[in-house]
Amino acid sequence: MIKISNVSKAYGSLKALNNISIEINKGTIFGLLGINGAGKSTLLSILNGLSNIDSGEIRIFDFNLKTQKSKIKDISSIIPQNLAFYDNLSVNENIEFFSKVQNAKTEDIQKAIELNKLQDILMQKASTLSGGQKRRLNIAIGLLNNPQIIYFDEPTVGLDPKNRNDILDSILEYKKLGKTIIYTSHYMSEIEKICDEVAIIHKGELVIQDTLDNLLTNKDENIIFIEILYKNKTKELNLNLINDTTIKTDEQNLYKDIELLKQNNIAIKQIKYTSSNLEKYFIEATQ
Amino acid sequence: MFFAMIKKEFILVFRDKHALLALFIMPAIFILIMSISLKDQFSHANVSFNISIKTHDKSDLATKFIEDIQEDKSINILKQNADILLIIPENYFKKENIKLIINVQNTLKSDLIEILKAKLLKKFIDIKLKSIAKSLKGLSPKASKSLSSVDISSEKLFIVKYFKDGSIPSSTQQSVPSWIVFGMFFVIIPISTIYINEKKQNTLVRLNSMNVSIFKMTISKVIPYIVINQIQVWIMIGVGIFIVPLFSTPALVINGSFISITLLSIAVSISAIGLANLIAVSATSSEQATTIGGILNILLGAIGGVMIPKFIMPESMQILSNISPMSWALDGFLKIFLKNEGIFSIAKESLVLIIFGIITLIISMIILNFKIKKGL
Repeated sequence: MIKISNVSKAYGSLKALNNISIEINKGTIFGLLGINGAGKSTLLSILNGLSNIDSGEIRIFDFNLKTQKSKIKDISSIIPQNLAFYDNLSVNENIEFFSKVQNAKTEDIQKAIELNKLQDILMQKASTLSGGQKRRLNIAIGLLNNPQIIYFDEPTVGLDPKNRNDILDSILEYKKLGKTIIYTSHYMSEIEKICDEVAIIHKGELVIQDTLDNLLTNKDENIIFIEILYKNKTKELNLNLINDTTIKTDEQNLYKDIELLKQNNIAIKQIKYTSSNLEKYFIEATQ
Repeated sequence: MFFAMIKKEFILVFRDKHALLALFIMPAIFILIMSISLKDQFSHANVSFNISIKTHDKSDLATKFIEDIQEDKSINILKQNADILLIIPENYFKKENIKLIINVQNTLKSDLIEILKAKLLKKFIDIKLKSIAKSLKGLSPKASKSLSSVDISSEKLFIVKYFKDGSIPSSTQQSVPSWIVFGMFFVIIPISTIYINEKKQNTLVRLNSMNVSIFKMTISKVIPYIVINQIQVWIMIGVGIFIVPLFSTPALVINGSFISITLLSIAVSISAIGLANLIAVSATSSEQATTIGGILNILLGAIGGVMIPKFIMPESMQILSNISPMSWALDGFLKIFLKNEGIFSIAKESLVLIIFGIITLIISMIILNFKIKKGL
């Protein structure tokens, strides 16, 4: 189990994490949600031993992060959002280098190559790979040491749906192998597809933590979002504005809101129905 | 792990064409250009003059004077197209206040004119003394004999000592160590390019997350560049020994031992790599690193005697040059190339360079640690 207890971290006057407590069960996929700057990446870098905490305690599989950082690094791996490998080396050279750095076993290297479908591009220079292939190499490098805990920091950013699905499928495979996975993403559909449990962080604070099943079964009424072109006078109207260009409404008030916009010559870009409670929670939590 | 990191560094450097150009081709070209260009500057033994003589003095003394000039091996007498036209005025050897005219036809350095003037003065005094001795022969045979025996050749009068042991570097001996040192410090180019790429590509953070310490990251960069610097040193020495003579320029002569060269060049490497690491970790882009590194290299080279030999600098500049590690490196190499005093003669230079390298490496590790903690 990963137990984060009352953890705080500040950069100068900016509180990146404020008294956060989260528990993550072994062998699960844990979704970490939050808008940019919410504190997700700070938490991931702390869990991976790259940053120190100001207060609180973190225990990872019975290891204390403060005193046993090196042991924790040995059993965990972070798949960074930015591609972290050598462009001037081939796929094989990258794999070989990072394997030797971590003293990886041959069977683990082979498994990482196979799971990420890199067999056919081993001799290709990393800089010449497609976006999806680069993402897969980035992930494979993180799996070479057969980590028990894997931190995925938005691993599907900028990918087409096919590559995205491939990566999500491979993450589900890692779960089957007994890995504990902490996954961050902006895509609710991804979280809904793979995660067992979810936490939403906003402005350094934990807003909600629950199982995905609980969040999705607490069905509420459908929410409708009206996206409009920005106009100053929108703020003066009696509308439920989430931000300058988004109005949150429901089926009962939809036509009334549209009429109001029409009367004030405010153009509508799109009307979006959402039935996802996760998205609802996320939007409400981050408002 | 360590071997893998060293291997990675080698692969990355040898795939960087610009770095190879800066490390190997640039200093080799400089050695060739500077050795050939400066060969006359460093070799006074080969000074020669192309002279035409026009005399209006028909005396025996003037004839003897011309004969003496013709006998001088460093003076070529030409009928036309000479660099200097020497005009001996009428009654030059008879009357006072008549001056020999040295008419310089082509651009010649002032110190060469001074050498020619010294040669002519010696010949003039020789003839005058012999003439006086001859005229005194009847009056005072003792004085005449004494005057005849006066030898005013420079060999009789002076002992010139260069570098305390009677040696002066040839243009090749000056150029090879200068540009070896300058080239070695150009490791800033590959080190900073690779560092900045590693920062940009987040591989440094990733390596740190894989339990690779800042110390290991830094030391893994020192060893490959010591090897690369060694390759540079021996290639440049090869250029000095085998290529430079093909251009009618003195070949590099090494009086010291090859072990001394290896030990000193390792010390130079440590200081060059330390400085390069410091610039690389402090810079935010490879453009910034290569610009700062390039300018700093040129400044340290200028102060340290790479561009202008230290022995022609004023004393104050020679003292100032001690702030440049290139100066210590160059002093060490010159000691090895010009003398044969064993490895202890370069101990002081090596120690200064190693201390400089260690200090800069420690500072660069502190900066890198701080930057990694801040996510670079």
